[in-house]
Amino acid sequence: MATPAFTFTPSTFQKLHPAEFFRRFTTEGVRPDGRLLDAFRPTTVHHGVISTANGSAMVRIGGTTLVCGVKAEVAEPKLDTPDQGYLVPNVELSPMCSSKFRPGPPSEQAQAVSEAINRVLKESKVLDLKDLCIEEGKAVWVLYVDAVCVAYDGNIFDAALAAIMVALNNVRIRKPTYQEGTIKVSGGSTANDENSFTLNLARTPLSATFAIFDTTLTILADPNVTEETISEGQISITLDETGQLCGVTKIGAASCSQSVMKDCVQSAKKRTQQLRNIMNQQ
Amino acid sequence: MSRLDRSRTSAHQLRPFFSSQNLLNRADGSAQFDFGGSSVMCSVVGPAEVKLRDEKLDKATIEVVVRPLVGLPGIKDKAREQAIRETLEPLILSGLHPRTSIQIVIQTMKDDGSILATAFNATILALLDAGIPLKSILGAVTCIVDSETNQILLDPTTQELANAKSTHTFVFDNKSSITSTDNKQQEDKESVDVATLYSDSTGLFSEEEYFECAQICYKAAQAIHGFIRTAVQKKLEKEQQQIDS
Amino acid sequence: MASITTEEESKLLIVLPGDQLPESGLMEDSSAAHRLTLGPGLAPMDDDSITAVKAGILKHNAVGNRWWVESNQRRYVAAQGESIIGVVTGKSAEHYKVDIGASQPALLGVLAFEGATKRNKPNHNIGDLLYCRVSMANKDMEAELECMNPTTGKADGFGELKGGFVIKISLGLARRLLDPKNLVLRLLGQHIPFEMAVGTNGKVWVNSASTQHTILICNAIRNSEYLNSGECSAMVKSLVEKM
Repeated sequence: MATPAFTFTPSTFQKLHPAEFFRRFTTEGVRPDGRLLDAFRPTTVHHGVISTANGSAMVRIGGTTLVCGVKAEVAEPKLDTPDQGYLVPNVELSPMCSSKFRPGPPSEQAQAVSEAINRVLKESKVLDLKDLCIEEGKAVWVLYVDAVCVAYDGNIFDAALAAIMVALNNVRIRKPTYQEGTIKVSGGSTANDENSFTLNLARTPLSATFAIFDTTLTILADPNVTEETISEGQISITLDETGQLCGVTKIGAASCSQSVMKDCVQSAKKRTQQLRNIMNQQ
Repeated sequence: MSRLDRSRTSAHQLRPFFSSQNLLNRADGSAQFDFGGSSVMCSVVGPAEVKLRDEKLDKATIEVVVRPLVGLPGIKDKAREQAIRETLEPLILSGLHPRTSIQIVIQTMKDDGSILATAFNATILALLDAGIPLKSILGAVTCIVDSETNQILLDPTTQELANAKSTHTFVFDNKSSITSTDNKQQEDKESVDVATLYSDSTGLFSEEEYFECAQICYKAAQAIHGFIRTAVQKKLEKEQQQIDS
Repeated sequence: MASITTEEESKLLIVLPGDQLPESGLMEDSSAAHRLTLGPGLAPMDDDSITAVKAGILKHNAVGNRWWVESNQRRYVAAQGESIIGVVTGKSAEHYKVDIGASQPALLGVLAFEGATKRNKPNHNIGDLLYCRVSMANKDMEAELECMNPTTGKADGFGELKGGFVIKISLGLARRLLDPKNLVLRLLGQHIPFEMAVGTNGKVWVNSASTQHTILICNAIRNSEYLNSGECSAMVKSLVEKM
């Protein structure tokens, strides 16, 4: 007599053993959402989406959507850097984008992403802060770069960095004049070069993130939120347009050999180039 | 070539390091780790009672708190907390102590560069002191690529960091070398395929520079592993001396 | 690489988390039945290797081919059969809640005393000090205690500790105090008569004729942790002379 086999539907299986469910796909070289292991999700980029901001962008990577706005304000410079302005990036992960975020002060993840982007912008010298000086020791521009996540489906770092870089490339600020303690900012349209200026960005760093799944070190490009939760680590690689590295981060349980890192760098080079093409098409 | 801090003669030399364990009376485990002029103290409390809100049914809740040298913790400290927690969480066998909390507090005592690496090393010593079950130990090292000479300098001071083109921090566990099965063959080669547990690099650098830094830091991390072993051995021998005699 | 050789028997065999035990070494002196008993500090890993998870001294007992790591820590994790000292922190109709220094308070049934019946229960109050035995310990549940020997039903010395003084020491030192050859206790006994109870949870209860003597004993025990035998005798001698 055969005992009746214990069966359940795929969706029940996924809920009970998310990692094992996932492993069944990766051993076949695909993922549950139909992507190959090294495939990134479809990406779209729009710039100038907020007319009231000095620069703005919307980036969508699969189910992750971010809107970024840059606002320029006049402020006093710091005493020890009288000729430098400020660049203040901030990433917001509100309950609006996913139920995993709670209302209240920024979550640890939001702060960590903001800090990671701040370091990329600062350490790889994307913008010379002296360009933001209006009058030395008196007035400088402060650029508030706010990226708000409206839909969260993993890989926030890539999306946020791309959105911020597109928005910064898109910035137009009215030319100011400084006279005897007052700053005059010319009125009218910012659309032409006559009375407004753009930022002179030294480079445009873009990143590619990979999740490490399982002890077999299966590398998943561009992880979505389910893949992030079951993965045992993440690798983020940031590159500028010349292929120079601007940042490498590897966290998590799985020890990662150098050959894996090398593969990721190669893959990241391709991906960031593809992202650049998408950005330029717009 | 002499280094900016003048106490070292080589670019690939670590500053003298020092540690002491079991310093704090009220914590379950504590340690201090120094890299030259940088010093970090770490305390571990646990497995202790957990707040109902943070309780996890199948494992211990691990909380990491990073306190800066001066002032209140900022966004930089939060990012460090996340980096340290995400590296340690999988290393701690938290399944052995479900529904408990393990709290790790990291306080910078003196800052002369390489604080993140110092913090990692202090933390692992404190965890060992507290007797928290771990999968392996780890060793952390920072290096920079100098903007003028393009030379890789190990364990930089604050002064050297200001001159850096890029900064790299690596963490290796003591199993890193086991992953390459053919030890003899691997060691013969100039570069070992090293496995990194945590890596964080910023600045501008080439692929070659990154992997060279990893190699150099890997070798230095072996010295840290050896040092941790000696530190633990000394402590245990002191405890056992009455029994043997 | 961190594998261990068992050649030097005379030296202490220190292991750190991540150190793998060689399979050959584990089996060499086992009998025909290839059985292996792993004690605290050792765990089988995903790759079927036996790995140390705590820093300490690797110990081996040929009887039953037992291996364990002798480590020291301050936080108590309850283990079945150990004798411990706890403080009553609460009581209900069926249980006393006892603080034993672990992550959770332990439960002590009101009937787990010598000769206790539903009609005749011992009465303990919050703050009372109890010397008891861990009857059940499990990582997922609160530990359970009893104040009697489960086989005989006799008190066997378990029960309330009255008077005296309690200090908290490391778990390693507490285990060493239980050694009948323990040096500091032997030396103290030569000068002062006293009674004591050692809990493996790192709590030590001491009582003697006078408070001064009790404090002296507590200090001597605390000081002895990192001293060798010569230093230990000198320490006890100087403390006694100062009295």
